Amino acid sequence: MNNIRYLFREGVRNIWSNRTMSLASIGVLVSCLLLTGAAVLFSMNISAAMATVEGTNSVRVYMDKGLPVLSSLKVGEQIKKLDNIKSCQFISKDDALQKVMGMIGQKDSTLLKDMTGKDNPLPDAFQVSFQDLSKYKNTVAQIKQIQGVSSVNDYSDVAAKLTNLDHLVTTVGFWIILLLSLVSLFIISNTIRVTMFSHRLEINIMKSVGATNWFVRVPFIVEGVFIGLLSGLLSSMILCLLYDKLTGTLTSITLFSPLDIGPLQWRITLLFLVAGALFGAIGGVISIGKYLKKEGGEIVEW
Amino acid sequence: MIEFQNVSKVYSNGTKALKNVNLHVDDGEFVFIVGSSGAGKSTFLKLITCEERPSQGEIVVGDQKLSQVKRGEVPYLRRMMGMVFQDFRLIQKMTVYENVAFAMHVVGASSREIRRRVPYILGLVNLQGKADCHPRELSGGEQQRVGLARALINSPRLIIADEPTGNIDPALSFEIVDLFSEINKRGTTILMVTHEHSLVKHFGHRVVEIHNGSVVADSCNWEARHE
Repeated sequence: MNNIRYLFREGVRNIWSNRTMSLASIGVLVSCLLLTGAAVLFSMNISAAMATVEGTNSVRVYMDKGLPVLSSLKVGEQIKKLDNIKSCQFISKDDALQKVMGMIGQKDSTLLKDMTGKDNPLPDAFQVSFQDLSKYKNTVAQIKQIQGVSSVNDYSDVAAKLTNLDHLVTTVGFWIILLLSLVSLFIISNTIRVTMFSHRLEINIMKSVGATNWFVRVPFIVEGVFIGLLSGLLSSMILCLLYDKLTGTLTSITLFSPLDIGPLQWRITLLFLVAGALFGAIGGVISIGKYLKKEGGEIVEW
Repeated sequence: MIEFQNVSKVYSNGTKALKNVNLHVDDGEFVFIVGSSGAGKSTFLKLITCEERPSQGEIVVGDQKLSQVKRGEVPYLRRMMGMVFQDFRLIQKMTVYENVAFAMHVVGASSREIRRRVPYILGLVNLQGKADCHPRELSGGEQQRVGLARALINSPRLIIADEPTGNIDPALSFEIVDLFSEINKRGTTILMVTHEHSLVKHFGHRVVEIHNGSVVADSCNWEARHE
């Protein structure tokens, strides 16, 4: 117990006595964790968006602007007669406007209050779902040919684009994160090596009075773990704040509704702390291991 | 306490540092090791502390054959030795008390044990009033006494000192060796490397001379060779 307290204190003291390099390590590790977190959150959002798109298994069919409601309903009848149609639900332009107002919140929806009735710029639409997804493209083409149909919101393209984007982000993110992880490990292990060289005399004395290699190692591992924990804490705070700000802005200017970070916050912090501590510990083990093997194994230096 | 049986050491670059050395040091003996630079004195010490392994022969320290001591057991072997260096090797940012206590922390001593033993050992080397001083505030002789206190703190059976008077005022050298002699009288074996012939002559302990990697003189005949 005495030893644990002593070694722990020594590890923390190392960080302070070598603060410039420690700060550099924290900076790089924070960047690495931030990028990792950002890539994961991005991927999670895309997956959620894709789940929504795929889950609905449907398209939105917009009518020509100014088309009377009766004509719109006739178009709906024509759609229902097509093969592969499971359901066809009418969404009036008033309902659509109400939905938009609900999505952007009360504060901003006041702007849209003057757009009700005749001034409503939105078209009438149908939410159409299919029986067989393999006939998706064919059915969409048939719907587009019906007179009065202005456009079909084709989610297959959106899903494909989202998938491509997800793959791109995952691939690029993977390589960037791998590179940054290696850089982080390199910098952390070098930071600890610098501390080690400045503590050469102490290590030398430790070895001369019979310290085991583990006793020599522990303060440097503690140093690495502390650097990692600090980085983990810092990066999770920055990530959550940035995500909150960014998604807040995105929601107010687009109709995109990102994942709420609230329930994820603790999980992200915990994951970052564990990842940071692990990185730090590995960095510590690598540097002290090399030192003890090559330079300070059983050295007393008579 | 120490037994060298036909010990030779050849380094990887071909240097023959020790050649067929046979030596026996009894428990409680005080032995001066003398010899010119490059004679093999450092290799002799490195072999005892397991910093190097012999190319040939067997070394016994205490009851342990060093050829049977594995790498992981070396720290435990060293706990029965105390080491004193020419350059003191004190940690400047630590006080005298902390420098000595440091050696106890390393072997896992409890805080209570450290608080009890450090003042006792500092008293033994006449440094009672200097516990809160930093090494830079002490004279060379006092710094070496801190080094000796650190070597003594874990009650070693053997003290190995490498030119402990090499960096201090010659007048104080006798005082330091006196202190070593006092410790020797309490039963600790002392192995001291030195270049100072005046000290060797004055104290009259056993002398082992190493020259070109071989023991060329042992004890009584040493003085006769140098007269």
